[in-house]
Amino acid sequence: MASTLKYVRVPPNSANLEEARKRVFEFFKTACRSIPTIMDIYILDDVAKPSQLRSTVSSEIRKNAHVTDPKVIDMLLIKATEELSNIVEHAKQRHHIIGQYVVGRQGLTHDLGIKDQGNSNFLNNFYSGNYF
Amino acid sequence: MASALRSSILRHIRVPLSRTLIVNGSKTTAVRSMSSHGDDHLDKQEVINRVLDVVKSFPKVEPSKVTPDVHFQKDLGLDSLDNVEIVMAIEEEFKLEIPDKEADKIDSCSLAIEYVYNHPMAS
Repeated sequence: MASTLKYVRVPPNSANLEEARKRVFEFFKTACRSIPTIMDIYILDDVAKPSQLRSTVSSEIRKNAHVTDPKVIDMLLIKATEELSNIVEHAKQRHHIIGQYVVGRQGLTHDLGIKDQGNSNFLNNFYSGNYF
Repeated sequence: MASALRSSILRHIRVPLSRTLIVNGSKTTAVRSMSSHGDDHLDKQEVINRVLDVVKSFPKVEPSKVTPDVHFQKDLGLDSLDNVEIVMAIEEEFKLEIPDKEADKIDSCSLAIEYVYNHPMAS
C-alpha cells in the first residue's frame, strides 16, 4: 500500500500521464504519512508543524507540475522516493531538514528577514549595483 | 456498648441496597455501565466543526468561503494536489487512514464530513 516505505522501487514505466499522476499522489500520501515519524526522529516539534511540512512537500511537487513526459515524472519520483527514504532512515541530520524544508520556505521568516530591513533605497541600490 | 454505638452510626451512613438498584432502571445499563464502547461515534456537529477548521486553516483557502458543502476544486479554486493534501490533513486530525479508493472520492466538504462521521474509528 502507499503508506509503507518498505519498498523503494518505483516500477519504471508509467504507461501514460494518468498512471504517473496516480503515482505522484501515492508518493505524496506516503510522504505525509511519514511526517509524524520524521518529526519524532529529528525533534522538529518546536520548529515546524505537520501542516507546514505537508505544504512544503506539496510545493516541491508543484515545482515540477509542468512536466508532461511520464518517463521524466518516473525519474523525478525515483529521486523523491530516495530522498524520502534517506530522511526516514535518519541518514540526514536535523540541520539538513531544517535548512532544506523549513527555513527556506518562509517557515521561519522572523529569523531570515532581519538583515534586509530596507534602510534606504539608495543603500539598497548601492548594494545591488556594481557599476560605480 | 461500643459495638451498639458503632452499628447505629453505620446504619445511618450505609446506603441501603434497594436505592441503588432503582437508579439502574433497565437491565442493559447495569451490565456495562462503565464502558464507553457505545459512544464510539463522534457528534455530527463536532465532526462538522473540526472538518471546517481543518479546511479553513489550509493556507491557500479563504476562511470566509468555507461552508459545510463547499467543493474543494470548484468553489475554493484548489487543484487536485491540494485536494489530496486536505484529505491527508483530515486523516491527521481524526487519526484515520483512508484507503486510496475512498480518498479519491472525497472532493467536497460534505463528502468529507459524511465519511468521517460514518467511520467507526474516528476520534
